[in-house]
Formats: sequence, C-alpha cells, structure tokens
Amino acid sequence: MSRVRAAALLLATVIVAAWWLTEPRPMSADELPDHAADATAGERIFWAGGCASCHATPVDGKRAKDENKLLLGGGLELDTPYGIFRVPNISSNKEDGIGDWTMIQFVNAMQRGVSPGRQHYYPSFPYTSYAKIPATDIMDLKAYLDTLSSMPGQVADHALEFPWTLRRGIGAWKRRYLDTEPVIRFETASPPIEQGRELVEGAGHCGECHTERDSFGGLVTDRWLAGAPNPEGRGRIPNITPAGKNISEWSASDIAYYLESGFTPEYDTVGGTMVAVQENMARLTKADRDAIASYLKSIPPLENQAVE
Amino acid sequence: MSYPARILITFIAVIIGGVAAATADDDPRHERHELMEDVGKAAKPVGKMLKGEAEYDLDVLMTSLQTFQNVSTKFGDLFPPGTETGMDTEAAPAIWEDREGFEQALADWREAIDAAITAKPINLEDAKPVAGAVFKTCKGCHDTYRLADD
Repeated sequence: MSRVRAAALLLATVIVAAWWLTEPRPMSADELPDHAADATAGERIFWAGGCASCHATPVDGKRAKDENKLLLGGGLELDTPYGIFRVPNISSNKEDGIGDWTMIQFVNAMQRGVSPGRQHYYPSFPYTSYAKIPATDIMDLKAYLDTLSSMPGQVADHALEFPWTLRRGIGAWKRRYLDTEPVIRFETASPPIEQGRELVEGAGHCGECHTERDSFGGLVTDRWLAGAPNPEGRGRIPNITPAGKNISEWSASDIAYYLESGFTPEYDTVGGTMVAVQENMARLTKADRDAIASYLKSIPPLENQAVE
Repeated sequence: MSYPARILITFIAVIIGGVAAATADDDPRHERHELMEDVGKAAKPVGKMLKGEAEYDLDVLMTSLQTFQNVSTKFGDLFPPGTETGMDTEAAPAIWEDREGFEQALADWREAIDAAITAKPINLEDAKPVAGAVFKTCKGCHDTYRLADD
C-alpha cells in the first residue's frame, strides 16, 4: 500500500516538475523599456533580421525578390528532418497577420519564442538569436512592420513528425538554449565591434547556419561561427572566424564589400542561401556592414573542423 | 568477332574514353572553368578602381572588358549534354533545364559589356554605372545557373 502511494507521489512529482520545466516564460508588459518606437530605425532591424527571407510570400514558387519582399503573407515551406514548417503570415492584417498584436506580445514572440496564446514557437523561428537584440530595437521593428501592407490569408499549420508535434517540450529546450547574454564577451571592445556583435549575434542570426549544433539542435557556442554542415544542400556552411579557410585572407573592407555587392575579393559571387542574406545586408548602412566586419575580425579564431 | 570479345572491346573503349574525358584539358567542363577564372582575374583590377582602391585607368577597364567579351561569345557553347556533372563542375542543372533563360542571361552580360565598351568612360564617375551594370549581370546569372560554393 505504501509502495503504491510512493509511486503515485513520485509520478505526481515528475509531472509537476515536467510541467514547470516546460512552462512558457513570457515577459510582462512592465518589463518593457520606456521607448517611443521608431519605424525608420525598425527598417534597419527588418533587413538585418532577414524577416523577408522566410516571411515574404513566394512568387511563382520562388523566393520573393525586390519590392515583393515587403509582402509578408508567409506561406514558404521549410522541409526539414522534423517535418514541414510552414512560415506564418506576419503582415499587418488584423485577422490573419499580426496587426492586432500588442507591443509586449510582439516582444515575447521575438525574444522569448512565446505566442500571444502562450504557446512555444519552434526554434525554426530564430528567437534564440533575436533574444540578443536590444528590446528597443524590437519595438522599432514592430513600428516598421505596422507600416507594411496587410495581406489576407492564414497559412496552414506545420506538418511535423511525432514527437516534434509536442510543443510543450520546447520549454525544456529553451531553458538550456535561450538566453539574452552575448555569445562573445570582449574585454575591451570599440563601439563598432559592439555594434557588429549586436548585428551578428542578434538580428543577423548568423550563428544559426554558421555554427554547429549539438544532438538536441542547440548551437555549440564553443565552435561559434566556425562552420557547420549545410542543412539545405551539399558541402558545408563556411567557417567565418578569423581562421576560416577563405575568410582569413579577406580584409575587413573585403568582408564589408562582399556584404554590399555580393563579390568576393576574387570576384566570385555569393552563392546558395547566402544570396538572400547578402541582399538583405546590402540594405544596411556602410557603417553597419563595417561593424559586422570588425566583429568578425575580432572573434576567437577557430580552425576548420576536419571534414568527415 | 565473337560476342564476348566485342563486349570486352566496347568495355575497354568506354573506360579509356571516360578516363580521357575526365582528364582532357579540352573538356568543356575544364574549359568553362578556366574561362571563368580569367573573368574573375580581369574583374579584380576593375573592382579595385570602382572601390577607390586604385587610380582610375581607362586602359585597364578596356582590357578587362575585352577579356569579358571574348569569354562571353564562346561561353554558351561549353555546356553540351553530358557535361551536367563531374570534374567538380559548379554548373547548375538549371542551365540544361532552362536553356532559354541561360542564353538570355548570357545575352544580358554581352549587352552590358558592349555598352561599357561603347561608352569608353574617361573617369571613374562615368565608369561606375556602366561597369557596375556588367558586374550586376555576373551575379544575376550566378544566382540561378551556378551551384553554391562548398
């Protein structure tokens, strides 16, 4: 009898602990900084963050180009080992998009991965990087998104494989991988390097592709930006630390020029998934691109991983 | 000739042919790679001038444009059937799937080169738009018709 009671108690404890461990942890509205959101400043975060690369509605089955990048009705499908992720509508439409979200709902989505209905988002939406953006920038971004066109039409749900259908489990994952702290701490960093850090670690979410992941899909920060297998094709995503095979030969101005024009110092052009990234970076100011280059020249140099 | 002997000879011929094709300098895959290397080398000094890292020099620009023009007139012939893969080619399947689009991209490139040659820009300010237009066609074609780097 007492054994049964002990087992029941243990089970209850495990359930309570699991519930607590996986609980969504949004911020409350009074944690928001006192800041008047500025749409012009938000446009910078929009391009740095690559929002359009996923959320712009595809045109004739291809990723949107030019002014179509501002039509954020979603609908792109990401075919992954976990199943198919369908990118949602984030246009200013009040029913189908995010036009009626409050500021705190938007900040929680971007920086805590929690929806207005208190559900976890899947980390295919790179909120683990966006968590490192200054909150004031996120507020500016919302002001900018509010100025863009309203697009009707909801996107169907993701079609994932079990057990990835259990969103609640993401809560435990976040406890391990979601934090707002810088990845690289410089003892003394010039303002451009700090500006570059915010852009690379935060909005630019460069680490999401350029850093290896562990078996739980979290970034291995000891191998920060040292390259990773290419999830969408052949070869590897390159090492962009100062010791990276190709980039070690590039000057800071070569890096900045590449982000602006798409040309490498050898006058080859940007390829693959980096094309869309480069086109977004081209919309930033020269000062921002120079800041990204300064940061990339300042982070710990890591040798390329021996390719299996 | 007996049937097995014929098979054997065919087999040997295919092997020799295959090895020859994979190593020959005149393989289109090799040739088109070399030509693109030439284009890259010719683009470099022009890029330096456009970025303001080198003094503007019309002769340098014209020499590079000449290289581009030479390559652009023969480049389209170097993608015959059977050269879709192998020899580390970075040619994208789209070249064969959408030949018309590929030819159009090459035509755009030639047009931009011709316009820059005709313009003969005497200073950097005049060179920027016409040379920039040529560079833009490089990227335009690569985005669709070349595979991503490893």
